Amino acid sequence: MPRRAPFQVLVILAVVTLAGCERRGGCTGAYCGTLINAAVAEPPTLLPPSSENVVVGDIGEQLFLKLADVGMSTNTIGDEDFQPLLAQRWEWDGPLTLVFHLDPRARWQDGQPVTAADVEFTFNAYTDSAVGSPFRPKLRRIASVTQRDASTAVFRFHERYPEMFYDAVYHMRILPAHLLRAVPRDQWKTAPFGRQPVGDGPYRFVSWQAAQSLELVADSTFFLGRPPIRRLIWRFTPNLQVAVQQVIADQADVREQLVTPDNVERARAAKQLTIYPFRGNVYTYLGFNLRANGDTSKPNPIFADRDVRRALSMAVDRASLVKSTLGDLGKVPPGPMSSLLGIWDPEIRQLPYDTAQAARILNAHGWRDHDGDGIRDKNGQPLAFHILVPTTSVLRRQYARLLQEQFRAIGVQTDIDELEFSVVNERLSSGKFDTSVLSRGNDPSPGSGITQTWTRAGFGGSNFGRYYNAEFERVVDLAIAAPTRERARALWKAAMETINADAPGIFLYALENVAAVHSRFDNVQIRPDSWAALLRTWRIPPDRLIDRDRVER
Amino acid sequence: MTAVGGMWLVRRLVASVAIIVAVVTFVFILIHAAPGKPCAGQPGEAADPVVCEQLIRQFALDRPLYEQYWRYLVALAHGDFGYSFSLHRPVRDALAETIPFTLQLAGAALLLDFVLGLGLGIYQAGRVNRLPDVIIGNATLFIYSLPTFWLALLLLLVFGEKLGWFPVGGPNDPIFCPVIDSAYCLFDRLWHLVLPAATLGLVGAAGTARFQRAAMLEVASQDYVRTARAKGVPERRVVLRHQLRNALLSFITRFGLAFPFLLTGAVLIETIFAWPGMGRLAFDAILARDYALVTATALIASVVVVAGNLLADILLGIADPRLRVRGGGELENVTA
Repeated sequence: MPRRAPFQVLVILAVVTLAGCERRGGCTGAYCGTLINAAVAEPPTLLPPSSENVVVGDIGEQLFLKLADVGMSTNTIGDEDFQPLLAQRWEWDGPLTLVFHLDPRARWQDGQPVTAADVEFTFNAYTDSAVGSPFRPKLRRIASVTQRDASTAVFRFHERYPEMFYDAVYHMRILPAHLLRAVPRDQWKTAPFGRQPVGDGPYRFVSWQAAQSLELVADSTFFLGRPPIRRLIWRFTPNLQVAVQQVIADQADVREQLVTPDNVERARAAKQLTIYPFRGNVYTYLGFNLRANGDTSKPNPIFADRDVRRALSMAVDRASLVKSTLGDLGKVPPGPMSSLLGIWDPEIRQLPYDTAQAARILNAHGWRDHDGDGIRDKNGQPLAFHILVPTTSVLRRQYARLLQEQFRAIGVQTDIDELEFSVVNERLSSGKFDTSVLSRGNDPSPGSGITQTWTRAGFGGSNFGRYYNAEFERVVDLAIAAPTRERARALWKAAMETINADAPGIFLYALENVAAVHSRFDNVQIRPDSWAALLRTWRIPPDRLIDRDRVER
Repeated sequence: MTAVGGMWLVRRLVASVAIIVAVVTFVFILIHAAPGKPCAGQPGEAADPVVCEQLIRQFALDRPLYEQYWRYLVALAHGDFGYSFSLHRPVRDALAETIPFTLQLAGAALLLDFVLGLGLGIYQAGRVNRLPDVIIGNATLFIYSLPTFWLALLLLLVFGEKLGWFPVGGPNDPIFCPVIDSAYCLFDRLWHLVLPAATLGLVGAAGTARFQRAAMLEVASQDYVRTARAKGVPERRVVLRHQLRNALLSFITRFGLAFPFLLTGAVLIETIFAWPGMGRLAFDAILARDYALVTATALIASVVVVAGNLLADILLGIADPRLRVRGGGELENVTA
């Protein structure tokens, strides 16, 4: 027998060992299939009221049902566009009382029925300050939730308004009272249930490998129909580019937001992927601090002047910026709104791009280049300010530099402060900034987001620049209370024109989302406010199954 | 071990503990003094003041810093690393899950670093100023000067996305091998380890090769090497027995220095390759201002670095008979 070198022997051993370890597979038919989502964040917990984290929401869609949910239109006014989930039907019992009748087939995954006691328990938990749920403020107009009988839950409201139904169903995922009642409310964030939940949704929790992946499996007994995709896996990848590469390299099936035009082009070039554009829920703006930097009791020497803010807004060519940075992935918003909102209307009046007019306004207000250094000044003070931007956002940093160039063209000097996001947030919260490139995410209702960011209700919260206009707030209140969708749209248009004229910020871009999904998936429905909301309807035709779809464990 | 050697070791151990305590203290103060709050939320999103207040009270973050530090030390003395408020779990659990991954990555990178670096250094030393030496010398200089993150992204793009030879991030195949329970899954882990370990290891190997080449050349001019050649000892034996053995001192020194490089490199590499190790954990903890987690990862890192250097010093003493311990507890070159 010839003598082999040790390395050769090792290689042969490895090949023999691998050959003996064939992949376990065999599932065939309509209920096979695995979906791997390349997620860029990991949830801190899976207990829905404990976190507003996007991934908690995505996974929550599969584990915990709401009473009903918005439809593809994302209309939040009235109840006609809502789809029943846990609630089989509902009715109004007077102007302030809403009655839900639960589907008697609904079961927790431990076999217990879902009851009105669970609904009551859920409301009490979401509104308990000890739980500290970020959804609590959104439920403030619901006075109480009680159980009439085991399958009937009654919601009572403080006041009548068009989005009563939306508030009742959208923010809360119903929780199992029998499993959570014993957990002290101030320990919910750390409860073991949050890492090993038992739900009532189309998928069951299987496992969670920290910083690696999380696996769910279809509940074949789900009362609204067995989900066709058998297994869902969230693969946690902290870097967006790597997450995109995983999808392009066919090592994941879905990346729900590609974010940059370059990523979209690369995904388009991958033969196995299909591209799905959908309305985005984020807009970005340069927010002016209307109060003095670091002292909210004094007006800002530059931005307290409405005309100066208007001039700065007119100096920015928003359309060109969007075209050069985002291409088709962004639009210039007609106000502080994302394209998700139904109030988006290109007819809303906005300040034009007009550098000559901007220069005239600044001249008229005494901001001229007196010393010939290229920078406007007044009473010896240069027209100069800082732009605060978090290092975490490549796009916003890029925008800060582009804005710097555009301001320089009309004699305004800016310095960019790129800081870590926790430092940025601390500065924003304490009012220690001049301007900042900020992004806001909207839920489908314009009421909550706009109120929190652009009215007095947001002082100390998300209205970092402390913008206030009594007329704007009056119209917003009217819009929120409008009885019909048409009336609401008209009022929102008026409100947006008011804020645009005030220019408390420059509304730079609204992102359009683009998802990349493996082409073997069929019936891909993406609801703009929550891409994962309808995953339970996606399917893979049996003739398109690949290796990872067939695997049995 | 002699009494003097034992005394030296005790002194080094005491000094090591002092260094670790100093590092922990420094990191504890620094992270608490850094701007930013532990409940900052997402960029541009206002943190809920109620939630923030709850968190601050729950973890006694409103207490004076000295009190928090004392509490931390007392807990640490009881083996309690504290609670991670960003992960909602004990720090000990998070560390127990991530340290093995960092050890796998650092171990593989260290192996590649020294095997490849040593081999190249020896090979170059035997062919000084000839074409292979010039080519390898320039290649190692090129790799050594590459930013690690750039090399990582390049390897991912070429070997992961374009060629599809290796997985793009992650420690395993989440479908077939969520845990290592078969030989197939063991190979799957090694397959996933290739790109991150190569990124860390190649840069290290380039440095090691240059060190080793220089050390070999320094030894080559020594009398005992010339004597061995004059006696007719085969070249292979001269290189391996006489030259390499004496040139190993610089190699051992570099071994001690490799630990800080590997641990700092791991922070970047683990984040880019989605490798669930301690480096990525530390990075996320710093961003979240997760005080307990940041301090604990700094503690572990300092223990590893100090232990690595101690080990290197011991190995130096063993490898070189000229190095002896004097009464004062310092390693001394008795021939100098």
